[in-house]
Amino acid sequence: MSNESQMAALPLAKTGLPAGTRSQRLSLDKLVIFIVLIALFGYFSMTASNFFTVRNVLTLALQTSTITMMGIGVTFTIITGGIDLSIGSVVALSGTVAVMAANVGCPIWLSMVIGLGSGVLSGLLNGMLITGLKLPPFIATLGMMMVLRGVVLTITNAMSKPAPDAFGHLGNDTLFKVSRQFPGIAYPVFIMILLALALGFFLRKTRMGRYTYAVGSNEEASRLSGIKVNRVKLAAYMISGFCAALTGIILASRMVTSQPNGGVAYEMNAIAASVIGGTSLMGGVGTVGGAVIGSFIIGVLGVGLTMQGASYFVQQIVIGIVVIASVAVDQIRYKKKLGK
Amino acid sequence: MSDMLLQVMDVSKGFPGVQALDKVSFELKRGEVHALVGENGAGKSTLMKILSGVHRPDAGSIIYKGQEVHFQNAREASAAGIGIIYQELNLVPHLTVAQNIYIGREPRTLLGYIDDRKMNVDAAELLGRLNLDIDPAIRLNQLPISKQQMVEIAKALSRDSEVLIMDEPTSALTESEIEELFKVIHDLRARGVGIIYISHRLDELKHIVDRITIFRDGRYIATSDYAAISMEEIINKMVGRTLANIFPARANVPTETRLLEVRNIVRPGILKDISFDLFQGEILGIAGLMGAGRSELARAIFGADPIASGQVLRDGKRLKIHSPSDAIANGIAYLSENRKEEGLATKMRLNENVTMANLPAVSRHFTVISRAQELEATRTFVRDLDIRTPSLEQTVNNLSGGNQQKVVVAKWLYRDSRILIFDEPTRGIDVGAKFAIYELMEQLARRGVGVIMISSELPEILGMTDRVLVLHEGRLMATLRTRDTSQEEILNFAAGFTGAAAAPCQG
Repeated sequence: MSNESQMAALPLAKTGLPAGTRSQRLSLDKLVIFIVLIALFGYFSMTASNFFTVRNVLTLALQTSTITMMGIGVTFTIITGGIDLSIGSVVALSGTVAVMAANVGCPIWLSMVIGLGSGVLSGLLNGMLITGLKLPPFIATLGMMMVLRGVVLTITNAMSKPAPDAFGHLGNDTLFKVSRQFPGIAYPVFIMILLALALGFFLRKTRMGRYTYAVGSNEEASRLSGIKVNRVKLAAYMISGFCAALTGIILASRMVTSQPNGGVAYEMNAIAASVIGGTSLMGGVGTVGGAVIGSFIIGVLGVGLTMQGASYFVQQIVIGIVVIASVAVDQIRYKKKLGK
Repeated sequence: MSDMLLQVMDVSKGFPGVQALDKVSFELKRGEVHALVGENGAGKSTLMKILSGVHRPDAGSIIYKGQEVHFQNAREASAAGIGIIYQELNLVPHLTVAQNIYIGREPRTLLGYIDDRKMNVDAAELLGRLNLDIDPAIRLNQLPISKQQMVEIAKALSRDSEVLIMDEPTSALTESEIEELFKVIHDLRARGVGIIYISHRLDELKHIVDRITIFRDGRYIATSDYAAISMEEIINKMVGRTLANIFPARANVPTETRLLEVRNIVRPGILKDISFDLFQGEILGIAGLMGAGRSELARAIFGADPIASGQVLRDGKRLKIHSPSDAIANGIAYLSENRKEEGLATKMRLNENVTMANLPAVSRHFTVISRAQELEATRTFVRDLDIRTPSLEQTVNNLSGGNQQKVVVAKWLYRDSRILIFDEPTRGIDVGAKFAIYELMEQLARRGVGVIMISSELPEILGMTDRVLVLHEGRLMATLRTRDTSQEEILNFAAGFTGAAAAPCQG
């Protein structure tokens, strides 16, 4: 069909139909949680004396990078209408595999790539269980969570092993170090930013990203539109596995040891971050930006409450309430929209 | 019988961005069947949702049995005796028929347990009154859609409603089931129930309707005794302009070139050795009753369902189709009859749906989607197909049924398909939109596209197609030249009779 030529003859103004306004496209939800994040930041800056210091903000970013990267990854699976519960175990697996590789003499970069590979492979397995055997994602990844954890504990005998010193650079070195006052920005923070930008672009601007939403919004319509649904799902789980593996390697590097017991229950924080950021567990809705903001809300709460002297237990209560509240607010607004 | 049951006076209702109702009025007497008609977006559904307590009006009043009422929710309306049967089923698939009918008000035993026996007996009696042969203890999802719809009707009737609202009740029913429904409606009318009947199938109104009210664009246009108004006037008032014809003139003649050859398609129990040809520029109809295998045949060709044997050739070459993406790559498109379930990603935007099957065309550098190109493409179709939307990036969920159908059509036109299979393309959409879709098919055929149209509406088959395939229980009964056939002949074959000597049709 001669769409191109027809379109060329049709200047935008002629039909008068607007594209969506910017506010329509940038959902209000994201704006709201961003304001919540800023408000929390302001609140803790005023109430906890050491909160708003360069050093603390840098530490906050470093600590939050873990949950952010995992949150971004799991967001992909949730948008397709699935979930990935195995990412906590992937964190342990990838770090352990990378450290083991380094310890048998692989160059550091190669051992890290091998670690990443183990995560991608785990994601591929998740995806194959879901697309091939048609298992519900919750079950498939729950099973994989246990299997992978068991594998890690078995191959390490549940013991942490130190890694070569060079393995620690990635997690502990910084860029732009000036002085004691400004210790520089840690590599993991840069990695987090790059990952968020890359995957945000991927999800928003590329075909595969669009298909991710389509599959989650209506799987059958997607299939009948010629979208290779299984491929999209495999990609989503592999991305999730990749993000978790990256997290695991960074954590292992920061400790300069393998952590076979690390990452337990991390998947829950990642899912919570994603949900706070507006991702719908029904599929079809969610953004990388939202996941990042959601992660930082959890991160700021954690650090801020700690500095105020609240116990870890109280933090759990607060974060739990935030998860519930963010979805509840969404539901109420959705009902209003329907005119109820 | 002249006492007034329900009066709607100057009711308005707005939603963000739309004034759905603008001071409309409507009245219903006891023992009356009152049709409410209008194009999509005329405000019929909104008014019904107000009457049934789902929405509350912004202004105006509703007088029910002489008293002004303000229903706060659907439960209040239903308790007051206003029942509604929605176009889309509101039933629980995993419960039994009886459990569905009595959901939320199950009969209890003395000990407070649910009295399953009484429930089943009551349900059986109710279904019996409707002449329905449905086992009340069977799980709902084991029934075909048409039977499920009858259960929905039974459920509404079981509440002793004085006002019964039916929103497109016949859209999923077969001819004989429609007759059953009409019998029930006559029966209810005789008992003094007031029925508001919403339908796009204007031809069926004559069997049951006493009065008719017409809405357009959220405004009240006219009310008339049905006997005193002609079909033409109704349509003119609905669309606000004169529609010369229901069908566009068929200008083109199909060529002799075989575009698609379907050979010996078999799907055990469903499709029995079906073969046919589709010529370039042809509109080929597929007729048959519900369950005859029409959609299944389309899905088989499209690779959406697996087949046991058989082959599909395009331009004389055998195609390897194992999935819809294979079919699409070979220029075949299928517009499903269930557009919400299978045609649209309703949470996504208009532009995203239009380009869904052809994203490479608006992508650069292998994979990056160009928003500008995508919006341009969307704009073209919004204009060409007259899709009514406030913006190109409107979420599809917020569009009306007819406009949603057009979005699906746009998706496949944008894909530049050579063979388009339309499955019930005009179901649930209004007269104006129907005409637009017919015109579109005609244009496509003129361009040399092969069009297959599956339809339950015989006038549409007769008005639009060049040839008709008639299916009965998965078997191809006849391939007829549309010009030389008749409604009766098609129905004969569809009912399973063969040849001209068959018994007269029974609908």
